[in-house]
Amino acid sequence: MNDDELITMVREQRTKVPMTVPVEQVISRGRAVRARRQLPGLAAVLAVAAAAVVAVTALLPGHQGRHQPGTNPGIELAAWTVVRHTDGTVDVTIRQLSDPAGLQRKLRADGVPASVIFGDTPNAQPNRCQSYGHPELLQRVITPSTAPGQPRGIAIVMTIHPSALPSNAGVQIITSQARVGVHLVAASQACTGS
Amino acid sequence: MGTQREDFAEFYRGAKDECLFTVLVSVGDRDTAQELVAEAFARAWASWRTVSKHPAPKAWVVRTALNANISRWRRRRREVSVPDPASVADLPAAGGGADSSVNPRIMAALLRLPARQRQVVALRLFLDLDTDRTAQVLGIAPGTVQAHLGRAVAALRDDLMPERQQESPS
Repeated sequence: MNDDELITMVREQRTKVPMTVPVEQVISRGRAVRARRQLPGLAAVLAVAAAAVVAVTALLPGHQGRHQPGTNPGIELAAWTVVRHTDGTVDVTIRQLSDPAGLQRKLRADGVPASVIFGDTPNAQPNRCQSYGHPELLQRVITPSTAPGQPRGIAIVMTIHPSALPSNAGVQIITSQARVGVHLVAASQACTGS
Repeated sequence: MGTQREDFAEFYRGAKDECLFTVLVSVGDRDTAQELVAEAFARAWASWRTVSKHPAPKAWVVRTALNANISRWRRRRREVSVPDPASVADLPAAGGGADSSVNPRIMAALLRLPARQRQVVALRLFLDLDTDRTAQVLGIAPGTVQAHLGRAVAALRDDLMPERQQESPS
C-alpha cells in the first residue's frame, strides 16, 4: 500500500460517524443564540418599556404581571418569557426565579407537560416528580443557550422540542441552591398535570 | 429568509459528518464532539450572512466547535462544586453511540498523533482544505503544514501498514 492508498483509507473514515442532530434543532438553537446576542443592546429599551408597562398595567384590573390570555404570547416583559413557534418548538427565557406556577401554567398551555419548582422562593413546593430518560433524550428535547447551572442573575435561555418528548414524559425546571436545572420527568397528574 | 434557511440546511447536510469527524479526532469523545459541532452550526446559522461568505465555512464551524470546547472546559472548572439537578437526574444509561462502521485501528492511530499533526490531518484530509488555507486557519507557515502532514502520514503508515501487510499476502 502506498501513501495515497493510506490517505484514502484514512479519509474514508470521515463519513462513517453520522451527525444525528436534526437541522431543525440546530436552527432553533441558532435563533436562541441570535436572540441572546441582541439581549444587551435591548436591555435599556426593555427597561424603559418595562417601566411603561408596569405604569400602565397597574391600572388594569386583574393584571398579573404578564399579558392577558389571547394576546400575542411573544412579548412578555417579566421574570420569564415563553414563546411558542409555528414549528412547535418553545423558547423559554428565565430572568428571575419568580412565579413558578405561572411559568408552569404557560408551558402546559403551550403544549409542554411541565413542572416548575423554584425552591428558593416562598412559593416552593414539594417535588412530586420521578426522573425519566437519559442524557441523549434530554439533548433532543432541550437545547440550552445557557447551560443549566448558571448563577442567578443571568438570563437562562432554552428551546424545548415537545415533539421529541415521549408521550409519558415531561420537562421539569427546578432550582437548587439558586441554580437552575432542567431534566426529564415521568408525566403524571401530580407532576406535569397530565 | 426561506432561501437562507435552505442554503444553511444544504450546507449542514453536506458538512455535518465531516465536521463531526474532524472535531471527534480532536476531542476523542463522540457525544462531546456532537454537542460541540451542533453548537457551532447553531452559531453559524445565527451569523449565516457572514459565515455563508466565508472562504471555508466548514473550517469556521470546526474552529468554533474547538473554541467552544475550551470555553466549556473553563466553565466546568468553575462549576464543579455545585450540584446540577440535570446531571444528577439524567446521568445513567449514556453508553450508546458506538460507531460500528468506523475502523477502530485507524481512529486509535489518529488519536495517537500529536495535537498539531492531528489538526493538520483533520483540515487537509477530512475538510479538504489546501495547504495555504490550512496554514491560515492554524496560523502557521505552509511549509510547516506540509512537514506536519508528512510526519503524520509516516506515523499512520507505521501504525497501520503492518495490519494491512498481514491481510494481503505478498
